[in-house]
Amino acid sequence: MTSTKKALLALLTVLAMFAAACGSDAATDTSSSDESDASDEAGDDGEAMADGGDVKAAFVMVAPVGDAGWNFMHNEGRIGAEAATGVETAFVESIPEGGAEFDEAVQNFIDEGYNVIFTTSFGYMDATEKFAADNPDVIFEHISGFKMNDTNFGNTFGRMYQPRYIAGMAAGAATESNKIGYVAAFPIPEVIRGINAFALGVKAVNPDATVEVAWTSTWFGIAEEGAAAQALIDTGADVLSMHQDSTATGAAISDAGGTFIGYHSDMSAQVPAYLTAPVWNWTPRYSAVIEAAKAGTYTPEAWWGGMADGVVDIEVPASSPVADDMQAVKDSILAGEFDVFDQGTITDQEGNVIIEDGVVQAELLDPFSGDPVAGPGDELHDGVLATMSFFVDNVIGTVE
Amino acid sequence: MFGFRLAKRDQALPGGQVLAFGIGLIVALAFGAVLLVVAGHSPVEIYLKMADAAFGSPQAWSTTLTQAVPLGLAGLAVAVAGSMGLWNIGAEGQIIAGAIAGSWVARLGPDLPGPMLITLMLIGAAIGGGLLALGPAIARAHLGVNEIITTLMLNEIALRTVRYLVNGPWKDPTSIGFPVAPELPEQAALPTLFERADISVLIAAAVLIVFGFYAARSKWGFELRIAGSSEKAAEYVGISLKRKILTVLVLSGAIAGLVGGLRLGATDRIVEGVAEGWGFAGIIVAALALMRPSGVAAVAIAFGALRVGGVAIKGQGVPASIAEIIQALVLLGALGAAVFTTYRIVGPNSNSGGDATSRDMSEVAS
Repeated sequence: MTSTKKALLALLTVLAMFAAACGSDAATDTSSSDESDASDEAGDDGEAMADGGDVKAAFVMVAPVGDAGWNFMHNEGRIGAEAATGVETAFVESIPEGGAEFDEAVQNFIDEGYNVIFTTSFGYMDATEKFAADNPDVIFEHISGFKMNDTNFGNTFGRMYQPRYIAGMAAGAATESNKIGYVAAFPIPEVIRGINAFALGVKAVNPDATVEVAWTSTWFGIAEEGAAAQALIDTGADVLSMHQDSTATGAAISDAGGTFIGYHSDMSAQVPAYLTAPVWNWTPRYSAVIEAAKAGTYTPEAWWGGMADGVVDIEVPASSPVADDMQAVKDSILAGEFDVFDQGTITDQEGNVIIEDGVVQAELLDPFSGDPVAGPGDELHDGVLATMSFFVDNVIGTVE
Repeated sequence: MFGFRLAKRDQALPGGQVLAFGIGLIVALAFGAVLLVVAGHSPVEIYLKMADAAFGSPQAWSTTLTQAVPLGLAGLAVAVAGSMGLWNIGAEGQIIAGAIAGSWVARLGPDLPGPMLITLMLIGAAIGGGLLALGPAIARAHLGVNEIITTLMLNEIALRTVRYLVNGPWKDPTSIGFPVAPELPEQAALPTLFERADISVLIAAAVLIVFGFYAARSKWGFELRIAGSSEKAAEYVGISLKRKILTVLVLSGAIAGLVGGLRLGATDRIVEGVAEGWGFAGIIVAALALMRPSGVAAVAIAFGALRVGGVAIKGQGVPASIAEIIQALVLLGALGAAVFTTYRIVGPNSNSGGDATSRDMSEVAS
């Protein structure tokens, strides 16, 4: 028993040390503004209320921003938006979803006068909604989910399938074995849509090639993704693409001497086999939200931007034999004259025609609720893309 | 190796734990300070920031306590089993099982009044967690199957199950493809206690106090420790080991399951990441509390403060990696200190210490 008491005593001592330390901190806070270079508090907050033009933007990230993937690109967007708009920005990384740490991080930013807050992971959605309701003077933009309100809470995402189509063209031209591999994360519509767009791009330049899918059930899993990549290489794939945050797929195909089509960011420095990649560019969107906040014109929306909006992009590699064709498609997407799923005949793996020249030909159901999404004769709409749960005919693999 | 070894002290160092924890903390903060200086920050400023974020205001306290709830209950779950020498590595999975069971209850009775719904959800969650621990408990009690392996592997089963549910049968039809279950009824949200803390703080405090006293004072708790220190002694005095193992492991799972139920009140719906590592953090909490249920609450609050402080300094431009290293150093310092209160280093030429070298590290905590 005495040792129990001692353990308690020890921990209380630790607590007391923390408490003592925080007591002195409270004193520092009221007497001086030492961190003014970091957060510019006091004076600015008052002005923010006065003219409504003093905007500070903060970003909450789910993983370290050094990952060359999703979080890295959001941080690049933050840096770009800071340069473009001149507003002060801050970020906090490695904040788990759905925990008190998220609340702590967001509240800290609000307390420091940040009035535009970007929460950049799906799992932040519900907590962001609550903060938006409790803080009507702060604008919240969530990337990406499906919730919003009428005043200060919107969501943002990008039509990554557009550059994935162009990436597919590069892959179709690069393969010699006519076997292309795709290391995929989770069988959700976003990923399935990306695979289909990629496969349609492959088909456009190389009708004989197939795209084989290997699921990893990871967003960042070096071991799983490396193993899936190796399995695809072992079946003869000489070009690989992927939909995760690690560079494991790129490393595997580099070792095998093949070609790598990346994702998220330009990985030419890290991956020898890198050819090109569909990439995120959040700077224009972040800048637009911040400018709207500055002007007092922010209106929440479910924003789904494409290449023409600058949020997604792909560099056309000059070395590709189909570089001119890729550039032509890129130009027509940018001009709004070409849509990946709104053209030609799109057939599923069983040979059923699903979409013909932008008109739905089959009964399409939401894969999860079973509710009808579209039927024969309907114009193609975003709901079809948002619930996509079939593979096109040159994909090998199952959507589960 | 080199003739040095750890020998168990005949008696725990008198007053040693306070001293050791203090030294452990100071050493950890000193190492952290070096990292911070290298990264271009003032260690004093950063440490003050951490302390302020964790304890500097009622709001800070509410955040710290909110963190301490799952840490404390998960820690208690591990410690209850640990005080009998059993290792429940499956708290993570039991939290998920609790969350699944809790949301299942909410799906069955979406129109029940709030207090009743919350009560049923929490009971359901505890049953869910207990059920997941039942298999390992039976296997350990009757077949002698190592509970470390079985509880650990059931984590994976629980994770796959929740993944299946939110991607399949429980998927929110309005979520346009995102893998989440529908939101729970509004009245299932736990009422606020103060600032950001909800009544889960009271529930956890009640559970911790009851178990702390019960485990320390009751015959049941005494028998647990007897069984933990020597199975033969336990059998000699007529304690049914099989029954003890069964009840203790199931109870451990039920406490972890309760964490899952409380988490639902905070996250509004069940998601794949509902356990979020709390079950594994519970193992650290229990180890720091030396597997004594009565010590868990203080450790959980200190650990919670460390996490809250870590978030605060991440927002100050300290890289997340350094913030996390500092947190890890403090835990490591405290754990290391715990070793030296019960063990001492014996030189190559010393004959003392007897057969202590054969004892494994788990005894540090028993």
